[in-house]
Order: sequence, then C-alpha cells, then structure tokens
Amino acid sequence: MADYTLLIILFAPFVGVVVLMFVPNRQALQVRLVAATAAGVCMLASFYMFFAYDPVRGGFQFVQRFEWSKQLGIAFYLGVDGIGAPLVLASAILLFAGIFISWHIKDRTKEFYIFLLILAAATIGVFMSLDMFFLYFFYEMSVIPMYVLLGVWGSHTKGYLDMTDPEGLKKRDSVGFILNFAANSKEYAAMKLTLFLSVGAVVALMGILLIYKFSGLHTFDILVLREQARFSGSLATIIWLLVFFGFASIAPIWPLHSWSPVGHAAAPAATSMLHAGVLMKLGHFSIIRICYEILPEATRELMPIAAVLCVLNIIYGGFVAFYAKDTKYVIGYSSSSHMGYVFLGMAALDYISLTGAVLYMFAHALATGMLFAMAGWVYDQTHSRHIPELGGLVNRMPFVAGCFLVACMASVGMPGTVNFIAEIMILVGSWGKYPIQVIVAVVGIVLTLAYLFRMMRGVFYGPMEARYSHAHDAVTIVDRLPLLLMIGCSIVFGIFPGHFYDVIRSSVDPLLARIIAVAPMVSQSGGGLMP
Amino acid sequence: MTFTLTLSGADLLLLLPEMLLTVWLCVVLTMDFAMPRLPKDRLAYLSVAGLAGVLANLVWFDLAGIGGTLFAHMFVVDRLAVFFKIFIVGTTILVILASVDYVRRFRFFKGEYYFLVLMSALGMMFMASANDLLSVFITLEFSTFGFYVLVAYLRDDVASNEAGLKFFILGVFAAGLLAYGISLVYGETGKLVFSDIASPSATPGLVIGFLLIFAALGFKIGAVPFHSWIPDTYHGAPTPVTAFLSIAPKGAAFAILIRMFFVSLAAFKPAWVLLLVGASILSMTYGNIVAIAQRNIKRLLAYSGIAQIGNILIGLAAGTKMGGDAILFYLLTYLFANLGAFAIVIAVGNLIRSDEIEDYNGLNRRSPFLAFAMLVFLLSLAGVPPLAGFIGKLYIFLAAIDEGLYTLIAVGLINIVISMYYYLVVVKKMYINEPTDPSPLTISPPMKVVVYAGLAGTLFLGIYPQPAINWVVAATLMFSNLAGPAAAAPTLVLPIGG
Repeated sequence: MADYTLLIILFAPFVGVVVLMFVPNRQALQVRLVAATAAGVCMLASFYMFFAYDPVRGGFQFVQRFEWSKQLGIAFYLGVDGIGAPLVLASAILLFAGIFISWHIKDRTKEFYIFLLILAAATIGVFMSLDMFFLYFFYEMSVIPMYVLLGVWGSHTKGYLDMTDPEGLKKRDSVGFILNFAANSKEYAAMKLTLFLSVGAVVALMGILLIYKFSGLHTFDILVLREQARFSGSLATIIWLLVFFGFASIAPIWPLHSWSPVGHAAAPAATSMLHAGVLMKLGHFSIIRICYEILPEATRELMPIAAVLCVLNIIYGGFVAFYAKDTKYVIGYSSSSHMGYVFLGMAALDYISLTGAVLYMFAHALATGMLFAMAGWVYDQTHSRHIPELGGLVNRMPFVAGCFLVACMASVGMPGTVNFIAEIMILVGSWGKYPIQVIVAVVGIVLTLAYLFRMMRGVFYGPMEARYSHAHDAVTIVDRLPLLLMIGCSIVFGIFPGHFYDVIRSSVDPLLARIIAVAPMVSQSGGGLMP
Repeated sequence: MTFTLTLSGADLLLLLPEMLLTVWLCVVLTMDFAMPRLPKDRLAYLSVAGLAGVLANLVWFDLAGIGGTLFAHMFVVDRLAVFFKIFIVGTTILVILASVDYVRRFRFFKGEYYFLVLMSALGMMFMASANDLLSVFITLEFSTFGFYVLVAYLRDDVASNEAGLKFFILGVFAAGLLAYGISLVYGETGKLVFSDIASPSATPGLVIGFLLIFAALGFKIGAVPFHSWIPDTYHGAPTPVTAFLSIAPKGAAFAILIRMFFVSLAAFKPAWVLLLVGASILSMTYGNIVAIAQRNIKRLLAYSGIAQIGNILIGLAAGTKMGGDAILFYLLTYLFANLGAFAIVIAVGNLIRSDEIEDYNGLNRRSPFLAFAMLVFLLSLAGVPPLAGFIGKLYIFLAAIDEGLYTLIAVGLINIVISMYYYLVVVKKMYINEPTDPSPLTISPPMKVVVYAGLAGTLFLGIYPQPAINWVVAATLMFSNLAGPAAAAPTLVLPIGG
C-alpha cells in the first residue's frame, strides 16, 4: 500500500468523476454516494499517509516518479514532505465534509459533485507535486471548476437585486463587466476570481519558464533544481518577484486580495470551504516549494516584502470584516486577514514560526471550513446572509449554534484547538525579527474576536423574525457528520499536536537551514517594519 | 530550366496517396451523377471510406519512412509532408462526418459538396509536399479554388454570397502578390527550389519578394494584418466549411512557411524573427481583444482563430527544430479543439437554427453532453490544463524561451488570460443562464463521432502527450541542424531582449 498511497489519494476523486459520468442524473442518491465514497477513500488514505509519514527520516516520502515527457524534461513526480502532508490531509477532510455539506443540492447534483471532486483533486495534486510543471498543471486546473461552481450553484450578494434591471443585465455582459466593481452578482464574482487567479498563474508561469531556461538543466524537477541550480543577482530577484506575486495572488496577499471575499460570498458552502480552506493555501505552499526551495538567496533578501504586506492583510481584512454585513463577507475577510499570519510566519524565516505557519494553514482550513459550513447552513435555512436581518436562530438551531461557537473559538485561537498552538508558534517565532508585526498580529486577534462574536450575536441571538420559524437544525447524521468531523479534528490535533509538530519540523529544518546557510544573515539589527 | 520527366514505379509510389484520392473523388462525382436516387448521405460515407484508405496509406508511409522527391524536387515526400497530409486527411474525415446533417438542408448540389471538399483536401495535400515556389503557387491556388465555391455554397443566403465574394477578391489579390513575389525571388536568384534559394546576400528584390510571399501565406493563415477576410468569411460560410477552412488550410500553409523560413531563409533568421514577432503579437492581441465584443459564435471562433495563429507564429519565430515541433504539436491540439468546437456549433445550429451566443443560454440544461464538450473545447483553446491546448501553448513557450523571446512570451501569457474571458462568457451562457426554450437537444450519430473524436484527442494530448511529441519530433528531424537553443552555459545576468 505504502507505495501507491499518493496515487490513491490523488486519483480516488478522479475515478469518482469518471464513475459519476455514467451515473444517470436522476439518481441523486447514487450520485451522492459515489461522490462520498470517492472522497472517503481519499480521506482515509490521507489519514494513513499522514500517520505513516516518518518524521525521523524526513524528506520526501511515498515518492512516485513516472517519466512523462523526455523532450520537455517533465516527469510525473509525486511525493509529500512535512509541509505537503498536513495540507493534503486538510484538503481530503474538507472534501469529505464538503460532500456532506452539499447533500441537499438539488440542481444538477451530478455536475456539482463532478466539479467539486475535480477541484479538490487538483488542489491535492499541487500539494504533492515535485515537478514544477505538474505543480502549475494542477494549480491552473483548480481554477476552472471554481468558475462553474460559483457561477451555477453560487448565490448573489445582498444588494444584487436592486440592480437587476434589464439595462443592468446587458451592461454586465459587455467589456465593462470586468471593470464594474460595484457588481455583486455571482457571475461577476466567478469571472473576477477566475481572471485574477489566471493572471497570477501566468505571471508565476513566466517565472517558472525563466527558471527552466536559466537553470540550464532542461528540467522542471524541483529536487534537481534545488540541488543544482543557482540563481543570484537581478535574475534571481526578477524570478522571485514573478513567482512570489504570481502565487501570492491566490494566497491572497494585500493588495491582490479583492477577488477573494467576493468569491467566498458567491460560492456555495462546500466550495467556500475548499476555497478558503485549501485553495488559498496553494499560494503559500507554491511559494515555499519554488521560492524557498529553488531561490533561497532571493528568499532571504526579499521575504521582508511579505513581512510588510502581511500587516496590511491582518489589519485591513480585520477592519473590513468588522464592518461587513454579509456573514460570508465577514468570514471571507477574516480568512484574508488570517492569511497574513501565515505570511508573517513565513517571512520571519525562523524554525518555530515557519512550523507554526504550516500548522496554521492546516488549522485555518478546519476553522474556516466550519464557519463557512455553518454560514451555508444558515443561508440554506433562511435564504439570507444579511446580519441585520438575522437573529435569534439559536432557538431554531441549537446544534449549529453550538458548533458555530466552537468554530469561532477555533478561529480566534482558543487553547485546546490546533489554531492556538499554530498562532502561538508564529507569534513567538517572529518576535525576534518582527516585533512590530507581532504586536499588530495580536491586535488582529482581538479584532477577530470582535467581529466573529459580533456576527455570532447578530445571527444567533437577539430577537428572531417570524419568517425564520420554519428553519431547521442539523439533526440527521448526514448533516452532523461533517461538522463533527471538522470540530473533532481541530480539537484532537489541538490536544495532541506532537505528531504534527514532528512531521512539519522534519521538513522545515532542512529547508530553513539551506536558506540560512546559503545567505548568511548580514545584520542582526533587524526589527521594525523594514529590517 | 529543362525538365526531363522520368518516372519509375518507385517514384509513382510517392504519389500514391494523391493518386488514390484523385481516383476516389472522381468516383464520388460519378456516383453522384450516375445514381441520382442514391441518398446523398451515402456519398459522405463513401468519401470517408476513401479518405480512410488514403490515411492508412499515409500512416504506412510514416511508419515505413518512405520518402523522396519528384519532378526536379518540386514535389517532396518526407516525414514533415506526411505529417501534414495526415493532419489534412484527418481533418477532412471529421469535417465530412460533421457535414452530413448540414448538407441535408441544402436544396441543390448536395453531392458536389463532398466532391469539392475532397478536391480541396487534395490540393492541400499537394501543398504539404510543395518544395519549390512554382508548386507553392499552383497547389495554393488549387486548394483555394474548391474553397471559393464552398464558402458561397448557400446561394440563397446573402451572408454566404458576401463571404464568398470577399474571400474570392482578397484571395485573388493574395495570389497576385504571391506570383509577383515569386517572380522577384526567381529574378534575383534564378532558382525556385527552396533549398537552392538559400542565398547568402539579401538584395532588395529578394527581400521584397519574400515579404510578398509571406503576405500571401499570411493571408492564407489569417495572420494580422492579412486577416480582414476571416470574420466575414467564417461568419457567412456554411459552418462545416468554416470548420474546414479554419483548420486544414492553416496546416498546409504552415507546411510551406516552415519549409520557406527554416530552409530557404535560415541564414536571415535575425531579420525575419522580428517580422514574425510583430505578426505574432499583433495577431494574438488583435484576435483576442476583438473576440471579446463578438455576439456570434462563428465570429468569436474566427477571431479566436486569428489569435491561435498568433500563438503558432511564436513557434515559427523561435526558428529552431523545437519551434517546428511545437508548431506541429500545437496544430494537432488546435485541430481537435477547434473542430470539436465547430462540431458543437454545427450541431446546435442544426437544432436551433442560430449561431448567436445568446442562443447558447442554458445549453447545459438542454444537453449536458454538448455543453460539457463545448466547455472542454473552449478551455483547450484557452490553454487550461489538463487539456491539449495547455501542452501546446507550453511547448511553444518552451521553444521560444530557449531563443530568449521574452517579450513575445509575456504577450502570449497575457493573451491567455484575455482569451479566457471570452471563452468563459460562452461557458457562462451555457451553464449559468437559463434557457428560453428548455426542450432537450439530441445529436445525430455522425456528429457524435466527431465530438467524441475531439474530446478523445483533446484529453489524450493533454494528459499523455508523449506519443504525439515523439511523432512531431520525428517529423522535423531534418531541421535538427538548425541553430539549436543557445548552448552557452547559463548566464546569471539577465539579458533582457527579444
């Protein structure tokens, strides 16, 4: 089993897609069961992979390599290290949970699950690619299902109905469609997301092509490039900037984040979960894979850029989340804000903080997945995401309200959840180098507390409007399973983070050791925004 | 120059595919006249059977490595020619299958349609083998002749007549340019065969001559600034003819372009790289930007076709063997994706009698299969993995980056995003908008074959391109002595240029 684990994880969803194509559209239950089986196999294999990963040995494990094209120097090269493994696990958990969260989708069920499975499989593919070509291949592949998922099964944001005059409809179809920043239809969100991510992708591709050319090795193999390619001077800077900002647009780093909350708000619940939970981490992960592995020198010199921008991420995202009226906007901006913590952990180039950043990616995936799942549940029951309209729902749905509280706690980083450990590690690890950013980040935590509990109060407490009296709680096992799964993982790994820590640390150590050895620190006087 | 024609049996063998097709198109025409009661669909299947025989013959040539030249090097059979002939015959088979439903709607001349398609295919097969300027002229005109009639085939339709007239007038004009260019080149060098022309000095006459020839071929492939006939002609022509016109002649013209630039003009590469870079940037940018504003799916595909040609020109601008490989591979991906997209347009057009993008609203509800297939084809044209178009684009970019054409690659990458917008607008209509008439759509078996072939090719080339890469690499082996990728050790200073 060990050898084929990654292939099983990656191809279980794809096999599910192929099987689904032959299931008749009317058999909705069969469709759901096939999708759930594919996701279940994928998740079980991921758990096996994660616990079978040997942190003592470290490095890339479960490696699979198939020659794909000799002429172009491409190999289908899979393997996970301590950074990829937790993210593969997170994707698989969110996919499985997402299948159940979207159990009640009635419109074109089959196609929904097909696109959802492709999206998740492509994401997983990025996390296990050891070849830049396939990393890009899966990365770009994950963008298109997003378009269809948002466009077809998504929902408009409040305020959209005010502008659906026939004239307005025409306008959105023209070129002005792209430039019409006031629009909040799902079509607009889907197109904006796709174009933003595609621009980021091609910018990164330019960087990848430059690496391919100037390494002179005629290969996309990350491990070979890591050992043999050396880039320095302006070339390294240009490549680094292309790759960093190309991938950071999906992360999303400020000021390239504007597609993300719009996209979250428009997407159906399961897509938001995958999108905020793991799709955004593709950015950080790809930066670690390419910038950190292949361009250590430039990373050492240029990562302070991220340290500056992450402050804006944290504060800007936090403030907008505080004033947003749409539940999904709140969670979306909170994700965008929390991604600043990951950038901070990465930028400090410290063993503890980078380990914390990777752990935070996993933790955030679960926490934000729960929040979106619950926001989706509330929307399904009330057809509203407008916080002032909602309220008092705790009487109708005590279970969901309880889970929501736990999710908020996790998101804030309450001790006992895995988020707490990750957050503490980032803050402690970065303190030495970026004390100002750490102070800002702590303020950010307070902001998180404020906007999440403001939303909690607005949605679940206070007076309830009569029209919500038909709203249901999550009572069946199908509805409760995904919530319990995510909460369980968050708490269990929060209480026993040992294996996590060992796994991540086993890969972070050699990675950082190389960066520090390649470019010894010039001055120790760092500190402040611009060290 | 005196010709002494001595043809042995072995020489005639080289002409076997063309002779087979010639005999066969006579058979098709005779059957049409001799058996007026025969359902015209049968003629389509008869043509396909003949083409399948030709295809088998060509595959045998390719596998056995049969090659040589005829008629004082005017006609060459090498692996490049065989590749393009397979490309052309394959396209023709799929186009004829896609035509069956459409031709049923014609009031007159249903049988002649298949004859004309076969005749154009024959002309293009000769184009793929053209090895000197005279045969370029003759074969180019021969192949275009059939298209002049085909484009104007709907004689009750004003748009079709306009399309035919526009295509004819501009085509004849291009033919004039070609003849003039050839006469200038011949006047300067006294030679006609590509490999003999390779002259060391660039006299003004030679430069102007080749520019005129390039203009004529540029007209054929529809590169900016020689593209003006494309939108109206594609729009007005019967849709299967548009599909044919958008693929097969492009392949045949690229066969000539590759021979001309890589053989005759290899010495002047620094000069023509700039020409091709310019044409490529203009084609990609113009095609993609204007495509955004289109309301008719055929016009959208016409402009997207102009942009695709711009992409292929990147490979030509690279001017290396790898550039040649990339062109061939890209043409394969373009064949499946573009033909597939046109097949959907034909199918939908047959069912709802409209080519407006507006009428694709809710196609996903009316026929999930058609909508999904269209999604795949459009995304392949845009260059999204795991579809063929992505590998094609990447191959082209890899060839170009070895030559340091950074600007060109940057423009190409930006154009991917621009093109994604208008392809996604079609996807939006199909998937997101609700249909005005939700009745389900079904398509006929021959059309299904074409769509399945397109899907299979698009997915196979995207997921496992190695066999096709091996094939195109073998087809361009004769160019392996071209100046390869800059073999110097990787420099660590960035030379900004290209």
